[in-house]
Amino acid sequence: MSTDPSSPGAALLSVRNLTVVAQSEGVRRTILDDISFDLKPRQILSVIGESGSGKTVLARALVGWMAPQLKITGGEILFKGRDLIRDRAYASRLAGREIAYIGGNPAGALDPTMTVGAQLVEKLRAVRPDISAKDAQDKAIRLLEAVKIPSAASRFHEYPFQYSGGMMQRAMIVDALISDPALLIADNITQPLDVTVAAQILKLMRELNEKFSTAILFICSSLPVACDAGDEVMVLHAGEVVERQTSADLVSQPQHGYTRALIAELPTLWANGKDGRDERQDRNRQALMSVRGVAKFYETRGKAGKAVVQAVRNVEFDVFPGDNFGIVGESGCGKSSLMRLLTGLERPDAGSIIFEGEDVGTASPARLRQLRRRFQLVLQDPFGSLPPQSSIGDIVEEPLKIHGIGTKKERHDRARAALNEVGLGDRLYDQLPTGLSAGQRQRLQVARAMVLEPRLLIMDETLSALDQTEQGKLLDLFGRLQAQHGFTYIFISHDLTMVRQVCSRIAVMYLGETVEVAPNERMFFDPGHPYTRALLSAAPTLEERRYRPEDCLLEGEPPSPIDLPPGCAFAGRCPHAFDRCQRENPALVSRADQALAACFLVNAASTAKAPADA
Amino acid sequence: MFIARFLARRLLQGALIVFLVSAVIFTLLRVVPGDPVRLMAGGMAPEALIEQIAEEMGLRDPIYQQFGRYVWGIVQGDLGQSFVRPASGAAVGGASFDDSTRSERAEVWDLIAQTAPMTVQLALLSMLFALIIAVPIGVWGGLRPGRFPDKLALYLSSVFVSLPNFWLGIVLALLLSVKLKLLPAIGYGGFAYTILPAIVLAIEIAPFIIRTLTVSVAGVMRENFIDIAAVRGLTRNQIIFRHALRNSSVPLLNLLGVQFSMLLGGVLVIEFIFDYPGLGLLTINAVMQRDFPLIQGIAIVTAAAFVLINIIVDLCATAIDPRLEY
Amino acid sequence: MSIQEMTSDLPAPRKDRKIAARIWSQAYAATEFKIGLAVFSALVVAAIFYPMFSGIDPTKMAISSKLLPPVFMGEGWSWARPLGTDQLGRDMLSRSLVGLRYSLLIGVSTTVLMVAVGAMMGLFSGYFGGKVDTVLMRLTDAQLAIPMIILAITILGVSRPTIPAIILVLGLSGWPIYARVMRSSVMSERKKEFVRGAMVLGATDWRIMFTLILPLVLPPIAFVAVLDIARMMIFESVLGFLGLGVQPPTPTFGNIIADGRKYLLNAWWIATMPGVFLVLTLTSINLMGSSLERARNSIYAGA
Repeated sequence: MSTDPSSPGAALLSVRNLTVVAQSEGVRRTILDDISFDLKPRQILSVIGESGSGKTVLARALVGWMAPQLKITGGEILFKGRDLIRDRAYASRLAGREIAYIGGNPAGALDPTMTVGAQLVEKLRAVRPDISAKDAQDKAIRLLEAVKIPSAASRFHEYPFQYSGGMMQRAMIVDALISDPALLIADNITQPLDVTVAAQILKLMRELNEKFSTAILFICSSLPVACDAGDEVMVLHAGEVVERQTSADLVSQPQHGYTRALIAELPTLWANGKDGRDERQDRNRQALMSVRGVAKFYETRGKAGKAVVQAVRNVEFDVFPGDNFGIVGESGCGKSSLMRLLTGLERPDAGSIIFEGEDVGTASPARLRQLRRRFQLVLQDPFGSLPPQSSIGDIVEEPLKIHGIGTKKERHDRARAALNEVGLGDRLYDQLPTGLSAGQRQRLQVARAMVLEPRLLIMDETLSALDQTEQGKLLDLFGRLQAQHGFTYIFISHDLTMVRQVCSRIAVMYLGETVEVAPNERMFFDPGHPYTRALLSAAPTLEERRYRPEDCLLEGEPPSPIDLPPGCAFAGRCPHAFDRCQRENPALVSRADQALAACFLVNAASTAKAPADA
Repeated sequence: MFIARFLARRLLQGALIVFLVSAVIFTLLRVVPGDPVRLMAGGMAPEALIEQIAEEMGLRDPIYQQFGRYVWGIVQGDLGQSFVRPASGAAVGGASFDDSTRSERAEVWDLIAQTAPMTVQLALLSMLFALIIAVPIGVWGGLRPGRFPDKLALYLSSVFVSLPNFWLGIVLALLLSVKLKLLPAIGYGGFAYTILPAIVLAIEIAPFIIRTLTVSVAGVMRENFIDIAAVRGLTRNQIIFRHALRNSSVPLLNLLGVQFSMLLGGVLVIEFIFDYPGLGLLTINAVMQRDFPLIQGIAIVTAAAFVLINIIVDLCATAIDPRLEY
Repeated sequence: MSIQEMTSDLPAPRKDRKIAARIWSQAYAATEFKIGLAVFSALVVAAIFYPMFSGIDPTKMAISSKLLPPVFMGEGWSWARPLGTDQLGRDMLSRSLVGLRYSLLIGVSTTVLMVAVGAMMGLFSGYFGGKVDTVLMRLTDAQLAIPMIILAITILGVSRPTIPAIILVLGLSGWPIYARVMRSSVMSERKKEFVRGAMVLGATDWRIMFTLILPLVLPPIAFVAVLDIARMMIFESVLGFLGLGVQPPTPTFGNIIADGRKYLLNAWWIATMPGVFLVLTLTSINLMGSSLERARNSIYAGA
């Protein structure tokens, strides 16, 4: 909007030889090394780099937000030709007005004690004191509508904690755009969001770029997202720009070795085709774990008094010995509650969870303790899930002590053996886990779980905190342990590509229900539920999508699990919903070859097909 | 409506708490040694007369009956009558024999109602002084953690909190009142008599405010939204005065709620030292004279005040930070 | 992305020490802690050894040398009575130091008692939640609502104030705050994944509470309890001042000052000098306590 008319082709932002160093405890380390690039008005430039590449430091250096231990040691940041580094007054005049910033943590971005609307108005009036409070409010509401926040005028008066993560990120987009900035720096804005929400935000950002002609520097750590979002992609590696190309060229002809490695490392959803992963298991055996009609309700006390949250409603699936069973779903779909039920941490309100012929849900506490020797859990958070004050050896011996297994010597030997098996080595035996990396901690958790020699291991987002390379190594380890000990795995995850890589069968959850249960490739190549298709359409990938976001992507937010609609929970967002869906909730029905889906359209589809054996 | 339900719930809980408090105090006073009637009737009174008075007053009934009667009285707004104080004038008792009949003795409620405003005046003034001392120091310290203002806050609060109120009261009275003749100290003869006790009390309260504020301001300043506010274009003054202070006032409010009984302890001692005619002095005298109904009445009134203050504190905290609603 | 992540390939600083050791060493690094420790140690050494080696009996009266001023503070002072004497000719320095002994004894044992009671209440309340929590917390609320000073002077006023009685009464006044603090930290630990991990392993509640949670939450609370030693010492002296503390002839800060108050105009040192001792002791304890509290806060904010 406010580009210099005299030189239409000139860069809005020019970074020249920018160098930033970190100085802490006497160690000096170059974070950004001689970075140079240009950004033209209205352009969207994606910056991609793994964690540690310096991309967040770059974003913050541009807006003058530097941690005390960081220092700019050289170069210039020219905005419309004037250097922001030397001219601090100019830079602070631009902050929030001409240069806007959105961070990756929308939940903590606004003062929790003031309404979103008041803060939007406050911000606009701070940078544009000439605008009246009334006009500012009108503009804020107009923009909240523009980013598709439902009933914006009343949401204006709500507090940040009343917004969901996706809505809060939209509000932050409004906050950034409300002063009509020329440049928007978006630092990892889709990272904490679910894939379908992230896809909505990306779409929205592109629309806004066209509508308001704001130039955008889009910083992220996922190559597919970067390519989706930007006109051009700049690759940052170890503080240096290694290449910059248009999205299509970058994928088809990467110039730098790092980019090529990055592309090669990306797991694919469809490219490897139907590789026969499904055929591995013999399904005629007795199921190891059989879940039927499981439900769990929680009472909460909300503003309007007591309410019942239906966290888990109709969950049904079987896990067979030797399976790699996947449970996928977005946040709030009930997979964590389900995990607590499967592991006996909580009791279901209805239904049964039969493990080796016994109901985990109704077993006596003493019996449950005995059963625990045969099923174990590996948790998500590598840092929070280990007792911080126990040594590594004690952590692995603890389960043996709890169950009174073996003598001191035997426990010691078994713990050492387990540590060796997960690749940690026993020289760490007496140390506290404080120094371990995330990957090492997850290995330690696996060692602790397997020392009891269980039959079933439940992996609750075990890999989500790890980077791609480390994920791959752990998946190899899981495979090796499975071959050696005959483990059965349940992977609870939000990550479709991970599930695609390892799972033999997959259950998809939406609002507490299993809406689809299918063998791996059936689910990816022939999903039976529209929600599964929406998930697939939003999954970040460089491949040609089998399901296009335009056809499948959902509008709006999932309904609250407190007041669920009477019929199919998905009906409100489903592109194929018809009146029966509003009245009746579909149950899982067979689509042949062990595939089930909870959709009325399944029958229609399968009757058209040849009859199959269930 | 939300507020109404909140109030109803908290008042109900509060009533339970006050009931528990009165039960504890009532029982305690009846199981400890020492017969109040002996005090009331005077050392010279014959044993038979003491028994007769005790019978008349129901003091020989089982404790639960006495307690039942007492609670029934409270429900009707009657806190009973003082054992030793006449309806007008000084306390009776001691060695002389004085057959005070019930009608002549002072109503507990009146005694409390007469002295409470004095104590409220003292408490409010000292709170004002404390805030004037503590808020600038605490906020400044919180804004510059680890640097001079923070160290100042640390040393100052460590010294203040180490000054025993009764000793400080004596020293200040000696200095300001006796030597320098700046302020009146003993008794009460106008508002000026409140100032010195209020200063002593303020110095007792201030370190807690300083400590809470330094911690909470420093904590808020580390929050993401404070960093981002600068990037969003807000000025430093807006960030500190509109956002940082607002957010760090909630722990301060909670402090006032929790430390209420500490404040009360301070009031009691200070009123005693300065002979300030408030609730604290009344309490000490009641204890010295074993005036059981008065002790009970004061305990109940203060417990009720504690409950009410905590409800108000929670309401204010909720108004500031709506996340606290539950 | 934090700086720590960016520098993750550097050799990690060795932080693999238990929480108590970390709090202690960080506090010890602060000047204010060392000042506090030095003053406190000196006072404790004096309190233990001076009355023993000077051979001066703090309760021995000597009317001939009554109301002597402290050194350099008026006529008739002597080095044998550095802080002067009271109206009965008793030596103020040894009286103050003996008072300090009682004060510390009562302060420390009271604090231990209230931390122990509060910690147990909070541990059960926070761990089990639900009905256990409701009952224990109502109890805590009631205890907090009873104006403790009233309860204390009532109990001590109508019965004989002995040292165990004083400790018990003061201990009662402090535990509810510990119960609350403990409850909230237990609740936050209980939600953490490692507790869930231990449950899935089959650990009993008892085992989780006492081997996992308690060692984690108690040290930070216990360190800050140092501040309450000072608070309880004040409380003890207040009781002494009101005549409800340890009874004369045993000298305590409270009863010395209460006595001295009568002679304030012609022998100001009787009331003020013991107070200076008390203030010095309390300040040194508070400096140490505040440093520990800050060390704890910064470790928790950084962790």
